[in-house]
Amino acid sequence: MLAYVAKRLALAVGTVLAAVVIVFLLVHASDTTPGAVRAGAGATAERVAAENEALGWNRPLWVQFTDYLGQLVQGDLGTSLVDGRDIAADLADRLPVTASIALFATLLSGLVGVFLGVTAAVRGGRLGRLITTGSGVALSLPAFWVGILFVYLLSLQLGWFPATGYTEFSSDPLGWLSSIAIPVITLAVGGAAIIARTAAAGMREALTQEHIRTLRAMGTPRWRIRYVHALRYASVPVVSTLGIQFIALFGGSVIIENLFALPGLGQASQVAASSSDFPALVGVVVVATVVVVVTNLLLDLVVAALDPKVRTS
Amino acid sequence: MSVIPLDAADEVATEPVPPARRRRGLPGLLRRPGGIFGAAWLTFVIVASLTAPLWRPFEPGQQDTANRLALPSAEHWLGTDPLGRDLLSRIFTAGSLPLLSSALMLVVAFGIGLPLALIAAERGRRVERVISRVTEVFLALPATILLLALIGVIGNRLYPVMAVLGVLISAAVYRVLLGVAQSVRQRLYVDAARVNGLGSLRVNLVHVLPSMATVVAVQAAQLFGIGLLIVAGLAFLGFGPGEPEPSWGFMIQDASGYIYTSPWLMVPTGLVLALTVVAANELADALAGRAAGARGTRRRRRPLRRAVAAAAVPDGTPADPAAVLEVRDLTVSVDDGPDLVTGVSFSLRQGQVLGLVGESGCGKTMTARSLLGLLPDGVSVTGGSIRWQGRELAGLPETELNRIRGREIAMISQEPMVALDPMFSIATQLVGPIRRFREVGRSQAKRIAAELLRNVGIVDAERVLKSYPHQLSGGMAQRVCIALALTGEPQLLVADEPTTALDVTVQAEILSLLRALVRDTGLSVVIVSHDLGVVADICDDVAVMYAGQAVESGTAEAVLDAPAHPYTMALLGANPHVPEGEPVPERLASIAGTVPPPGSWPTGCRFATRCRFAQEKCTVPFPALPAHGAGSVLCIRVDELSREHATWTPERAGDEIQPGAEVLAPADETAPTAGVSS
Repeated sequence: MLAYVAKRLALAVGTVLAAVVIVFLLVHASDTTPGAVRAGAGATAERVAAENEALGWNRPLWVQFTDYLGQLVQGDLGTSLVDGRDIAADLADRLPVTASIALFATLLSGLVGVFLGVTAAVRGGRLGRLITTGSGVALSLPAFWVGILFVYLLSLQLGWFPATGYTEFSSDPLGWLSSIAIPVITLAVGGAAIIARTAAAGMREALTQEHIRTLRAMGTPRWRIRYVHALRYASVPVVSTLGIQFIALFGGSVIIENLFALPGLGQASQVAASSSDFPALVGVVVVATVVVVVTNLLLDLVVAALDPKVRTS
Repeated sequence: MSVIPLDAADEVATEPVPPARRRRGLPGLLRRPGGIFGAAWLTFVIVASLTAPLWRPFEPGQQDTANRLALPSAEHWLGTDPLGRDLLSRIFTAGSLPLLSSALMLVVAFGIGLPLALIAAERGRRVERVISRVTEVFLALPATILLLALIGVIGNRLYPVMAVLGVLISAAVYRVLLGVAQSVRQRLYVDAARVNGLGSLRVNLVHVLPSMATVVAVQAAQLFGIGLLIVAGLAFLGFGPGEPEPSWGFMIQDASGYIYTSPWLMVPTGLVLALTVVAANELADALAGRAAGARGTRRRRRPLRRAVAAAAVPDGTPADPAAVLEVRDLTVSVDDGPDLVTGVSFSLRQGQVLGLVGESGCGKTMTARSLLGLLPDGVSVTGGSIRWQGRELAGLPETELNRIRGREIAMISQEPMVALDPMFSIATQLVGPIRRFREVGRSQAKRIAAELLRNVGIVDAERVLKSYPHQLSGGMAQRVCIALALTGEPQLLVADEPTTALDVTVQAEILSLLRALVRDTGLSVVIVSHDLGVVADICDDVAVMYAGQAVESGTAEAVLDAPAHPYTMALLGANPHVPEGEPVPERLASIAGTVPPPGSWPTGCRFATRCRFAQEKCTVPFPALPAHGAGSVLCIRVDELSREHATWTPERAGDEIQPGAEVLAPADETAPTAGVSS
């Protein structure tokens, strides 16, 4: 078990390192220089060169890299080339926005998806086919399009939630909930569809297992067979998919945050990408990779807790 | 960019299909409505987009200022955008970029992932480990944000961006294909090809790749859809071809600004994009054969009129007044399909053991499972009666049966290793039924569980209680299964091949445990086996089953000592167990051919096609004759054979074994056994 944990941790650190190396090299392979970005459009070549010198851009690559790593370990992600703000502080403000949306969307996908998937597997027939087909369509829909449809429906037509914008939790908790409602529902459409498929497949597989027949031969009540034994068996793939889902929703936040004008990580990466704000880009990639890696680690722990075969080996 | 994780492709890690069985792939695909739709729409969009410059009614940039934000009309079939540009022309002009760049992504992803998977599967563990670690890192990278970082560095160049995405996705492709490649490589024919000296490249090209074709196609279709969503998503964020060039994502972004005034604007583009992705996924589903996944699992029971009618005949007059279980003319059938068991009768007294013997596919297991009403979906008792302590079980509703299962009749199955729930400890699995059956508290139930385990010969009961099924050996698991079956203190135990999956020494232990239980508790047992040694060891009575019928029944002693039916003789002749004091035969007898599958049983004697003593009269139906006292035998020549002292002796070496009568058609060896095995 200890060796297993050590291996997972090593892989996690390796992943973050790989991400840093990749973006670092990417930035240095670019034909624009940070000096040019900081100096702004139309700056003279002397000005750009001076900025580059000031940023340490002309030092050897490995010196810059070890420098960056050293700062990274201390939690320092540098300052923006565009407006000089502290990137670590900026991302720390943005992380809760993206994380809460992805988390709520994952939870909602899990609830709706498990309910639909289990219903499809247990009831079968026409309803089962409807759910299978419906989830096949739902997971193919572009999130930004679904989001606009929901804005039209839930905001413009029904007036339940605001169309765009973000309210701080600290200033108005209810307003906060209402401001993330449509983004969460939008992300949950595709998420629930994927969970429903996984849950349905898992339940179908579970119900054909030999041990289910043993339970039936023991006169076990049907609800117990379905919702205690079969569901428990199907829970491992469902939980794994939920973890993958959280990661995917985290990535999907770029579009959702753009659509609903939410000040999250995704928005930061879009702005950084369009303005070539290199330190901000590297920072976003590092933070996102850390989130993915931590989620994967937690996922491993949860799966181990669920599956006695993993737990006891 | 999309809500679909890159790992979604993992879901379709379908089994590899050997090349010979793939022939029906295409028609099968087209039988599914989703597959037809997917293929048709994708073809349409691809052709329409690539040829758009040839047919589009307007230039994509051509503005019709009088017709801004128009609804569909004869002139503009899908309406116009805020600048009065024709939506139809713009949508299909925009189509070729996402389609081509997704295709590029696929080429890169498979161009890297496929060879890596083949190499990893071929070169063995060490190489595989290295490649797998690297791909794991790739899989854990946040692809979307990395792509944005790339765009921040190299600018809005969609083709290079999608190629890099292909590199990232190749890790997911590799992971799925590795599993397939490894399992294909384990196939015998690949080994055979290697032994025959085919080079590595040729083995891969000729044998491994074709078997992976389905999985590759499924994955490609799915990833293509994901690629389209990502390209559109990038364009939506403004990282696509800039105005005035049309792009799907930007057209939707544009439409979102007019949602108050012209909601129609977002419909055509969104629908074309959504339909194209749906089409790719539907195609993938149809290829994977998953569209059939929604099969009804609800049990459909045929009304048991026949059963009830048949039960009425011998009502109140059981052949054996001491019998606790009386099965008469039992028929089990596939719904709207062939019969699996016909006219089987036997009875069982308290404290006795009845053996059901025969080859695989003779209906033994179906007969045994019908005693508890535990037939597979789509199979049911369609005739005859099962009387248990004076109660008719055939046709009893599920709720009534549930009251009998475990409490009166319990079952142990063939494979103890999978018969226990892998997710729960043994203690949990025993305590639940004990509390339900014996209405005791948790702590007392735990004591009873430990006692039951000790009763079935488990010494360290406390440790086993804490274990999970995967930590037990086969013999130990079967003991636990027996203990589980005893939690409700049943009077009848149905044991379906309880020793088949176990080692020989463990087999003997389990049999003697069963014998002790019968002796000490007065339990009655119906035991299914293909092993005559088991029958001789433990059974009081035996019913020999062949092709869904009981061909001979009687006391175990009488049937084994003086078999009357040629099939019983043959089974005995083929049995490697030698009774003490008899010489070991040099050769064992064999029975030519195989058991005919349900639905293709001959009229008359069903064994006639394989019987050495078959004659023309064996092909007409005839009734069972009394034999062995209370037993019966189903052979028209039984008297002649007994006069002739017929035996089923081993053939001499080199002899071709000829089934008897020339009038009979040879057994059909190729037909499948209708998916139901005994």
